[in-house]
Amino acid sequence: MAIPPALQVRDVTRSFGTRVALDRVSFDVRPGRLTGFVGANGAGKTTAMRIVMGVLAADAGTVTFGGEPIDLQARRQFGYMPEERGLYPKMRVLDQLVFFGRVHGLGPAVARARALELLEQLDLADRTTDVLHTLSLGNQQRVQVAAALLHEPVLLILDEPFSGLDPIAVDAMAARLRARAEAGVPVLFSSHQLELVERLCDDLVVIHQGRIVAHGDAEHLQEERAGTRIRIAVDGGTAWLAGARGVRVVSTDPRGTVVELVDGGDGQALLAEAQRHGAVHEFGRVVPSLSEIFREVIR
Amino acid sequence: MSAETSRGTLIRTIAGREISVKLRDKGFIASTIFFLVIIVAATVIPVILRDQTHDYTLAVVGDRAAAVAKVAAGLHSSADSAAVPNATVTVSPAADRAAAEALVRGGKADAALVSDGAALALIGKDAVTDDLVALAQAAAAQVDIAQVAVEAGLSPDQVQRIAAPTPPTVELLNAQPERAVPPILLVIIFGFLFYFSVLTFGVSIAQSVVEEKQSRVVELLVAAVPVRWLLAGKVLGSTALAVAQVTLIVGVGLAGAGIAGQSKVISQVLGASGWFLVFFLLGFLMLACLWAVAGSLASRVEDLQSTTMVMQVTVMAPFFATVFVTEPGRTQQVLSYIPFTAPLMMPARVINGTAQVWEPWVAAGIVLATAALFVALGARLYEGSVLRTSNRTRLIQAWRSEQ
Repeated sequence: MAIPPALQVRDVTRSFGTRVALDRVSFDVRPGRLTGFVGANGAGKTTAMRIVMGVLAADAGTVTFGGEPIDLQARRQFGYMPEERGLYPKMRVLDQLVFFGRVHGLGPAVARARALELLEQLDLADRTTDVLHTLSLGNQQRVQVAAALLHEPVLLILDEPFSGLDPIAVDAMAARLRARAEAGVPVLFSSHQLELVERLCDDLVVIHQGRIVAHGDAEHLQEERAGTRIRIAVDGGTAWLAGARGVRVVSTDPRGTVVELVDGGDGQALLAEAQRHGAVHEFGRVVPSLSEIFREVIR
Repeated sequence: MSAETSRGTLIRTIAGREISVKLRDKGFIASTIFFLVIIVAATVIPVILRDQTHDYTLAVVGDRAAAVAKVAAGLHSSADSAAVPNATVTVSPAADRAAAEALVRGGKADAALVSDGAALALIGKDAVTDDLVALAQAAAAQVDIAQVAVEAGLSPDQVQRIAAPTPPTVELLNAQPERAVPPILLVIIFGFLFYFSVLTFGVSIAQSVVEEKQSRVVELLVAAVPVRWLLAGKVLGSTALAVAQVTLIVGVGLAGAGIAGQSKVISQVLGASGWFLVFFLLGFLMLACLWAVAGSLASRVEDLQSTTMVMQVTVMAPFFATVFVTEPGRTQQVLSYIPFTAPLMMPARVINGTAQVWEPWVAAGIVLATAALFVALGARLYEGSVLRTSNRTRLIQAWRSEQ
C-alpha cells in the first residue's frame, strides 16, 4: 500500500503591509497523526492555515501535499474549518451540507446521502430542514464539522475546532478527529487549550510571532525539554538540598522539591545523598507539561 | 475519490444555490406575483369591461311600447354596430302604468316603457342607464320608420335599407400601422420591468456577496472554488432567474391578451419583446458584476447603502431618461447607443418604429462589449475585495488587490 501523503510547509513567508505575519515557516503534518498547532493570539496560526487552504497567497515558500504543489483539484479534497466559521445563516441545514458537498466535487445523490449520514451521527437528524441560524451555537458548530468532513477529506485543517464546545462535545470532536487520523488522514488543528492539545496530539507545532519555535513529536519534545530537572521527596524533608553541591532548587511544594542539576551535578550522587537523609519516596525526572514548554519557548 | 474539477459543474452549483435561495425568498415571490397580477389586469380587465353584456329587464305597458321593446330586445343580436349598446333586454309585460312603476320601484325591472297612444315614456327609478335610452331610441326609430314605410307601400327590402343604411368605409392615404397599445405605454412598461429587475436583482447580488463575507462562508468557498468562478456562478444564477422572471411576466401578459382575444396586442408586443429581452439580458449582465463588486466592497450589510449608491443611480438615471425623452430625435438617437441607456432606449426606438433595422444590432454590440469590459473589471475588483472581511474596502485597494 502506498504511504499516505503528508503536508509539508516550507519557508513560507507572508507580510501584511509592513507587518511580517509569517517568517520562513516550515513544518510537517504527517499522515495518521493529530498535529496540534499552538501559539499566542496573533502568532500566525490562522494566516498559516489560510495559506495552506489557498485562501491567502504566500509571499514566498512552498506548501506541498504528498510532495506535489497544491492545486485546486487537491485543495477541493481537503477539509477546512475556518476560525470564524462560515455557513449560510439563512439556509437549511441539509441544503447547506449538500451544497458544500457539491462544491467539493460530490455528486448530488452522494452529497445528500453523506450529509444525512453525518447529521445522524451528530444527533442532528431531526434538524435537517431547519434554517441554520435557528440552531444553538453548539449545534451550528456540529454542522460546521459536518461541512468539513462531508467529502471525506484527505487532509483536515481545523482552526480552533474546540472553541465554544462543552466538555462532552469536546470529547466527541476529539474522538472524531482521532478516527480520521487513524484512517491515515493528516490532521492539523489549532487550539488555545493547551491541556487539550497535550492530551490529544501526537505532533506539535509551536509558533511565536510568525516563527516556528518548536515542532515535532509531542512526547519527544517533552523528553527533550525535560532536561535535568528532578523531583525529590524524602522522609524528613529536603531542606538539606539548599546546601547541596551541583543542585539548584527550582520549587518546593508538599509533594516534594524540584531541583535542577547545575555545574555538572550528578543525579546518581544526589540520589545517594538523598537516601542518607531518609527514605526516598520519589526521585524522578520532571517532564514539563505542554503549557510549561509553551511558556518557555515563547519567552 | 470522485472529485471533479469541471468548471461548468462548479459554476452551476454556485448558480443553483443562488437560484434556490431566491426561489424561497418571499420578497422575490411576492414581486413576481405582483407583476403577474398587474400584467394580467392590464391586458384582461379592459377587454372584460368592453365585452361585458348587460342584461336589462324592461316592464312594458301598451301596444306601441310592446312593439318597441320587442325590436329593442332583438337589436343586440341583429346589429354589430358600435352604435348599439352591448345589452340584452328581457321584456316583462305589466297590466298598467301603476303596476309597471311598482315593478321599477321594487327593483324587479330596470325601467318601464309605457305607451299611451303614440306617446312613449321611459320610466326609471333614480336614473335610466344610457344603454336603455339608446336602445329605446333606436328601437322606436325603427318601429316608426317601418310603420311609415309600410304606409308608403315600400317593399320589405326597401324598408330594410332605410332602417339599416350601409355606412361608408374609412380609408387613410397615410395610414400608420395599427397599434393596439400606445407605444409609449409599452416603452414605460418594458422600461419599468428592466429598472425594477436590475435594481432588485442587483441589490440581491450585492446582499448575497456581503452575506458570504459577513458570515465568513466565503473563506470556505474560496478554498474550493476560484474566486472568478464564484463570481460567474453568482452572476449567471441571478441573470438566469431575472431573464426567466421577465420572460414569465411578458409571457403571461401575452397569454392574457390571447385569452382576451387581443391578437393585435400579441403581435405588437411579440415584435417588440424580442429586442427588449436581448437588451435586457445584455444590460443585466453588464451591470451584474458591478453589483457584485458593490457588495464585496462592503463588509457588513449595513455598508451596502453607501457602496451600492453609484449603482442605484446608474440604474435609475437611464430609466427616467427613457420615460422623459419620448420625442424621437437626436437625443433619443444618442441615448440609444450609450451603454447605460441603450438597453432601454434602443428597444423603445424599435417599438416606436424610429430605428433602422441595423441600429439595434450595433447598439447590442456596444452593450455587449461594455459588458465584457465590466465583467473583467468587476472580476478583478471582486477578487481584490471579497476576502477583506474586516472593514469597508476602498476601490483603489480592491484594484491593487494586496491579497
